[in-house]
Amino acid sequence: MEQVGLRPLSCLLFLLPLSAIAQTGAGPGYVGNNVCRTCHPDVWSTFYKNPHYKSVASGKEAPEQTGCESCHGPGKAHVEAKGGKATIVAFSELQPKAILDNCLRCHAETLSRANIRRSSHTLNDVVCTSCHSIHKSPVPKFLLAKQQTTLCYGCHAEVRAQFSMPFKHRVNEGFMTCSDCHNPHGAPAPTWRMAARPRMTDQALSNEEPCLKCHSEKRGPFLYEHEPVRVDGCETCHYPHGSTNSRLLRRPVVFTMCLECHNGAGLGRQGAGVLPITGSHNLADPRYQNCTTCHVRIHGSNSDALFLR
Amino acid sequence: MKPPLTTAVLVFTAVAAAQPPVAPTPEPVGSPRGENVSNYNIMNSFETGYRFRTFGGSFEQYRSTVNYGDGIRLFSSFLTINSKDGHGKYFDDLSLTTQGLGNDPYESATLRIQKNRLYRYDMVWRLNDYYNPGLRTGGAAGFHLLDTEYTTQDHDFTLFPQSNVKFFLGYSRGNQNGPALSSIQLFGSTGNDFPLFENVRRVRNEYRIGNEVHFRGVRFTWMRGWEGFKEDSNFFSDANPGLVKNNSTAITSFARDEPFHGTSPYWRAGLFTEGKYFAANGRFTYTSGRRGFVLDENAAGTGRFGVELARQIVTAGIAQRPALTADLTLSFFPTSRLTVTNHTAVHNIRINGDSSFAQFDNATLSVSYVAFEFLGIRTVANETEANFQATRWLGFYGGYQYSDRQIRSIEQSKTGTNLFNAPSEQSNALNSGTFGVRLRPLKPLTIVFNGDIGRSDHPLTPIADRNYHDLGARVLYKAKTFQLSASTRANYNNNSVSLATYSSHSRNYSANAAWTPRDWFSLDAGYSKLHLDTLGGITYFASAQSFQGQSLYISNLHAANLTARFDIRKRADLFIGYSHTQDTGSDQGPVSVTIAPGLSGPPSAIFAAQTFPLTFRSPSARFSLRFTEKLRWNVGYQYYGYNERFYNSLDFRAHTGYTSLLWSF
Repeated sequence: MEQVGLRPLSCLLFLLPLSAIAQTGAGPGYVGNNVCRTCHPDVWSTFYKNPHYKSVASGKEAPEQTGCESCHGPGKAHVEAKGGKATIVAFSELQPKAILDNCLRCHAETLSRANIRRSSHTLNDVVCTSCHSIHKSPVPKFLLAKQQTTLCYGCHAEVRAQFSMPFKHRVNEGFMTCSDCHNPHGAPAPTWRMAARPRMTDQALSNEEPCLKCHSEKRGPFLYEHEPVRVDGCETCHYPHGSTNSRLLRRPVVFTMCLECHNGAGLGRQGAGVLPITGSHNLADPRYQNCTTCHVRIHGSNSDALFLR
Repeated sequence: MKPPLTTAVLVFTAVAAAQPPVAPTPEPVGSPRGENVSNYNIMNSFETGYRFRTFGGSFEQYRSTVNYGDGIRLFSSFLTINSKDGHGKYFDDLSLTTQGLGNDPYESATLRIQKNRLYRYDMVWRLNDYYNPGLRTGGAAGFHLLDTEYTTQDHDFTLFPQSNVKFFLGYSRGNQNGPALSSIQLFGSTGNDFPLFENVRRVRNEYRIGNEVHFRGVRFTWMRGWEGFKEDSNFFSDANPGLVKNNSTAITSFARDEPFHGTSPYWRAGLFTEGKYFAANGRFTYTSGRRGFVLDENAAGTGRFGVELARQIVTAGIAQRPALTADLTLSFFPTSRLTVTNHTAVHNIRINGDSSFAQFDNATLSVSYVAFEFLGIRTVANETEANFQATRWLGFYGGYQYSDRQIRSIEQSKTGTNLFNAPSEQSNALNSGTFGVRLRPLKPLTIVFNGDIGRSDHPLTPIADRNYHDLGARVLYKAKTFQLSASTRANYNNNSVSLATYSSHSRNYSANAAWTPRDWFSLDAGYSKLHLDTLGGITYFASAQSFQGQSLYISNLHAANLTARFDIRKRADLFIGYSHTQDTGSDQGPVSVTIAPGLSGPPSAIFAAQTFPLTFRSPSARFSLRFTEKLRWNVGYQYYGYNERFYNSLDFRAHTGYTSLLWSF
């Protein structure tokens, strides 16, 4: 009795999409969103909150750029086969490159994504759906599959460890996000380093290191620049994520860090190169073991070549 | 109204994001909501409550590391309004989130409003109440303290965001204000060091306007911006005997004003096009930075031999920095399996400026000179990379990079008729290669091996990359209820020249697992070992003797985290977590240094700097109980313990917690 009762319902569910196809009169193979919603009401019921709904609301886009079929392709065969992943573009079945190509049909043009094909993520098969959830995103912006830090930590466990150190940028606390400094879609070659390392670091004004977005007092220009800051960047002396040392320094004691560059070998390094000045203080005296007590303007100074004021 | 699944997920996350200060976790608490009003769906939640803390040990270190205080907070709020047909009268999407408002050290608010096809507005506002106790050497107190509040805000408005012609307007602002402690050395190299109070006042403003045009498959973007920065911090001190004991040099008064104001107007332009077999994008940026500065410093005090001293220093000048950057990326897709990219980047920055310096001692001009400084950096980099997918389960990539950098410096000063001129130049070329292999033997399993090897001829600093290689591997298993990722990476760099050597070895191992076997239980665990050892040759003076020694640094960091969440009969959520960071340092003991015959040993601080073992642990727990569909009660606790092995002046332990009510409607 129960089976008999279900049969008409099944037929009805199947016929509804077909009748909808007849009504829409869309292009070859395209059936329109009204057909999709018949079998996928859970997706459709909240799709108006999805940024992709704009293509539906517009009402002016071509069928291949509207709603469901703009990503999943023509749905006619899918409907006629009564569903199935083989008859439609199912992202769970696609190769990473195919996923990337599919999304980039519309999303390639944003300049911040212009380097996505050469990004480390793409090269390592981390593509759009690795981080974005189109239909079940729990965050209000960018359709991320999880909160941003959770996403990034999922693969970059060593970075989670760095942000758990006593001295760190406030990412876990919610003040900052990874994308404040990184472009997960790839970035141009950094201007403050050689070659293309790092690849995923977003750049600030003048294409400088992203540190200067917030630490703008260190941007200068200074009359007396501390050359490594401009040439090799802030990480010459600092760890950007987190450190066991105060001020994210690479060493627990300042003078050892300074001496590793100002190491007394400056005259022999490259002949007429840019010379690091050799330290000449009595390091047995604790007074001189904290270089920045006197060299207070170590990032650059307008008044003193030795950064004393 | 029966709330749909997605609505539930959204609210879950909003609530989860509501409590990151105590235990930042993404676990869901709360219940689904959403009301339809007219043509809009509205979701709203507020979490407000009281935060408390107790602590022992170094309060300064606690403030630097954690910094949560007592008091009532609006822990978080969350609001979204969506039009149901995409044709709202004034907007189609509004989302507002806040965190920590009302006294937390980390506060933020984000707002997005948009109307389809017409406009989009994004705002981010953030505040960081930052405290730094100063640098410490060997457990001693440092001199550079900072207790400032930093706020930043970004506003971006886009007109016609979905059309072929868009317009952009933007504004950003950053403020840093608060007291600080600095230091200065006065009255000669044998003088004394004095602490200075600093009133930090920094402001950055940036205005931008731009446009984007899409025509016949080519997208062209331009933006014009103006950045202004000014700092009006001033320094002062009353009578002070100085920081160095057994030194009679003292000051009776000190004041310094050092304002500098500047602008950085810039142009940016971008071009993009993509076809079936190729894509091209270019970017051009030009910024002309310019900052003017004045320094007026007055100091009065007593010299080493009891002589009264008065010194005034006046400096004024202008520094300029034109910077040009151009990037071009060409991508080719000869087959569906092969992508070839070529990226060329040119960066040229020139920093120059001049200033006059005058020093008056006891009202008599003693030093006066005019200085000119120049630092120019020109970098050209080219990279070609091929990415090939051989089969569904096997892929390769490899590339070659070449960078050429020229660094030029001119130091000039003129004292009377004496001209000092020191030009220098350094050229640096880097050749490097990258490679990688991707394996997907099973659908949920990805294995990646990659590497990078480089040779640089004349890096600027002894610690920069010279002869390096970087090898890594990563495994990711991603199933419906289980995700495991593990990675290892080794980076070796050797930078040796005739008189100095420097080498660094870093080896990282990490693993992370997330398991959700039931909808009422989830587990997340991770472990990382970060090893670093560096060894550099250094020459230094100690007790009037010159030493050729080594600077050794060894760090063995072990970091582990564990979180578990239980959903108890859909009525309560229990979360427990633990985070442990420990640097075990080195068990090898101090490394000997070369000491010339007849000389005494180097200062003990050299040995003390070789390792810095410490432990930082933080267990936490949180409980959330649903009273009604619209109301939950939350309580949380987190402990912080910081312990250094060699010194204990900065150790602290703190108990923090909160209780809050969450309304969702």
